[in-house]
Amino acid sequence: MTLEEDNGPEPGGDDLFAAEYVLGVLAADEREIASRRIDADAAFARLVDAWEAHLSPMAGAYPETEPPIRVKEAIDRQLFVAEPRAGLWSSLAFWRGLAAASVAALAITIAVPYLNPPVEQPRLVASLAADGSDVRYLAVYDAAHREVGLSHVSGERAAGKDFELWMIEGKNAPVSIGVIPAGQTAHMTISPAVQEKLARGAVLAVSLEPAGGSPTGQPTGPVVAAGDLKSI
Amino acid sequence: MKDRAAFDLLYRQTSAKLFGVCLRVLKDRGEAEEALQEVFVKIWTKADRFAVSDLSPISWLVAIARNHAIDRIRARREPAAYIDAALEVADPAPGPEAAAVAGGESERIYRCLDELEKDRAAAVRGAYLDGESYAELAARHDVPLNTMRTWLRRSLLKLRECLER
Repeated sequence: MTLEEDNGPEPGGDDLFAAEYVLGVLAADEREIASRRIDADAAFARLVDAWEAHLSPMAGAYPETEPPIRVKEAIDRQLFVAEPRAGLWSSLAFWRGLAAASVAALAITIAVPYLNPPVEQPRLVASLAADGSDVRYLAVYDAAHREVGLSHVSGERAAGKDFELWMIEGKNAPVSIGVIPAGQTAHMTISPAVQEKLARGAVLAVSLEPAGGSPTGQPTGPVVAAGDLKSI
Repeated sequence: MKDRAAFDLLYRQTSAKLFGVCLRVLKDRGEAEEALQEVFVKIWTKADRFAVSDLSPISWLVAIARNHAIDRIRARREPAAYIDAALEVADPAPGPEAAAVAGGESERIYRCLDELEKDRAAAVRGAYLDGESYAELAARHDVPLNTMRTWLRRSLLKLRECLER
């Protein structure tokens, strides 16, 4: 990773091409080439991913702006109408946005399950929230990596307190997955026993605990966020 | 429908951020609304891609929205008018952005940007946040396109070197 890399035409070529794609400076035709390579070339996709991870903290500068309700209504019509085809056919915006690259991506998305039949791992998502609390997490359960990825959306822990993540299945006592590390995102590894229950769609909950986690093994503080895992 | 409830939650929690991304890049409300619709459809139908990503869920979603919005502005036909519009709306000052930033990762990348020369850091930020192309950045900074390319490539490598330090 020296500056020599951008002098020669090829050394560092893919790495810099990935960086330029992520930065967003490429022209339309170059972006299309990059986008096809992401779909077809796993090594290139990893380079892109690494650059996305490097640069993503800059996205903190994007302000949140509530979109008008008509956007959600249009999406619902497109995704959830009984005959989704009718929704797609009638959406001008959809066809306009469906560039050649998207068609290629779509074709690969459809083809991949047939090429790799054994690895259809469940992916579950939960939005964790509760009335009277501003704590929000987005949780994604990744069975393949045996972990729960948490993205902190809002709400701060009080001084000297920690958030702890629990798995609750039916009427059974909550099982601790662990204290959630501070920060924007966290990856928490889960035990095989918990994994089995998560795959069936257990509830995830976040409680406020003394620093270091519940001393009793059961939640001692208020549940500040909870949600069902649903498949996506 | 169970799937639909999950989607509603995802939308409630992320749509404001993703709409903010689309608005900033596209600088047109109607187009940003169309883009947001396309982005959520894409997310919902391509969610399996997340398996191969090291990104946090929200960063992954933002990346999809950003790339989609950038593809849209690149597909526009009237680049001259677009540059004028971008110049009016773009805010090159780091102030409000830095102020909106919270948390260690963001502090770190801004500290690393500060290590770059001022105009280069501004070009990196403009490219990332507004999706400006090499051609647009070259015109705005009044340098040849290849110079801009060299600037940004070196800046990216320096930035990464600083981030990994």
